[in-house]
Amino acid sequence: MGQGLGFQQLRKLLLEQDWEDRKELAQKLEQLDSELNTREKLEERVNPILQDQEARIQREFPVLFGPQITESIKKQIKESQDEVVEVLYPIIGRMIKKYITSEIQKLSDQIDAQMEMAFSWEGWKIRIKAWISGTPQKDLMLSKLIEPKIEEIHVIEKNSGMLMGSYTKKEGLDRDMVAGMLTAIKSFVEDAFETEAQELESIDYQNYKIIIKSFNSFFIAVVCTGKLNAAFKDKIDDELLSFSEKVLNKAKHPDKEEVQPDVIEQGLAEYFQDFEDLNE
Amino acid sequence: MNKKVILIGHFGVGKTSLVKRFVHSQFSEEYITTIGVKIDKKTLTVDGVIVNLLIWDIAGENSQQKVPKSYRLGAHGALYVFDITRPATYENMHQEIKALQEVMPDLPILVMANKKDLVSTEELNETLSKIQPYNAIATSAKTGELVNEAFEELTQKMTK
Repeated sequence: MGQGLGFQQLRKLLLEQDWEDRKELAQKLEQLDSELNTREKLEERVNPILQDQEARIQREFPVLFGPQITESIKKQIKESQDEVVEVLYPIIGRMIKKYITSEIQKLSDQIDAQMEMAFSWEGWKIRIKAWISGTPQKDLMLSKLIEPKIEEIHVIEKNSGMLMGSYTKKEGLDRDMVAGMLTAIKSFVEDAFETEAQELESIDYQNYKIIIKSFNSFFIAVVCTGKLNAAFKDKIDDELLSFSEKVLNKAKHPDKEEVQPDVIEQGLAEYFQDFEDLNE
Repeated sequence: MNKKVILIGHFGVGKTSLVKRFVHSQFSEEYITTIGVKIDKKTLTVDGVIVNLLIWDIAGENSQQKVPKSYRLGAHGALYVFDITRPATYENMHQEIKALQEVMPDLPILVMANKKDLVSTEELNETLSKIQPYNAIATSAKTGELVNEAFEELTQKMTK
């Protein structure tokens, strides 16, 4: 009996710690089981990770999926053109309709303004002009609506393409580079068609027209908008000739070959600032 | 003061990449051939003088005789670029430079041996000895080595 009691006590002493560990482990397992199998508890742990992932995907979506999306849209458009046209047709149609309506409204407003002007001094001037020139009055009124305007003028050295001076109503591209590219285009056309005695006189692009007037050592490029009529071109020709004669000679430094750009720019502003008002 | 610089040389020698490196400090491995001419601008200060360089990057041709004459006219300086790795790009260099000098006798011309990053020092020296009496500046548009220095040297020659 004494031996049995001793053995029991020894066993208790040796295994007590193991039992406690086992009990603790069983509790942890139970807790884990409950966390995994209870939706609310699992959500509590997993949600922050999912939210982080979601934020990362949102942030890097264009990089991660951009190429695949572009490729799949391209493929989709290519494979089902009819469906795409069907979907886009009403949208594009509405856009065009809206644009035309707005443009007609603008024209109508301008015509209203012209009609109001009909009995003014300006109106009488148009009538007299129409009577003298034989041009229908409506044509004169329409041409007044799309009046030509000078937007920019560049005086450019012929060979090098270096800008000698310029005048512009709005700041845009680097003028030195514009001068260079205009020279390159002009040279290319003249070289390509081997037209030594002939020169490029104008470049058209939609609402803009660049009139090029060549002189001996330089050329002048005039960028215009609106409907250019013969009278306007004549007037530009006259002004450019007079400008080159009076200003450019003065701009040339008496001792050096180089010209003074400020003299040219001042001259251009004087000649062309109110050019449209003079075009009567 | 404004100066016109022309870049000439065979196609694919790296003229556009040199301009891109010099003007925008960029380099791209992608090869896009130049059509006609492309003009860029960069302002330098050399010996206290502000110089606007108008750089005409002229489309490369196998022979410079194919380049429109008018692109070269009025230039204040020229950079002849060749590719160290392609002998065909410098074999006719002497004749081509001579032809340019006949049209424009006083034009400062600088030779650039480009793509230095692709060859060893021995290969570079061997190529440089082949093009004597011309002394070329060995550049790399990729690493930017000596690119600015070459443009600056030409600018100094032009402003003298």
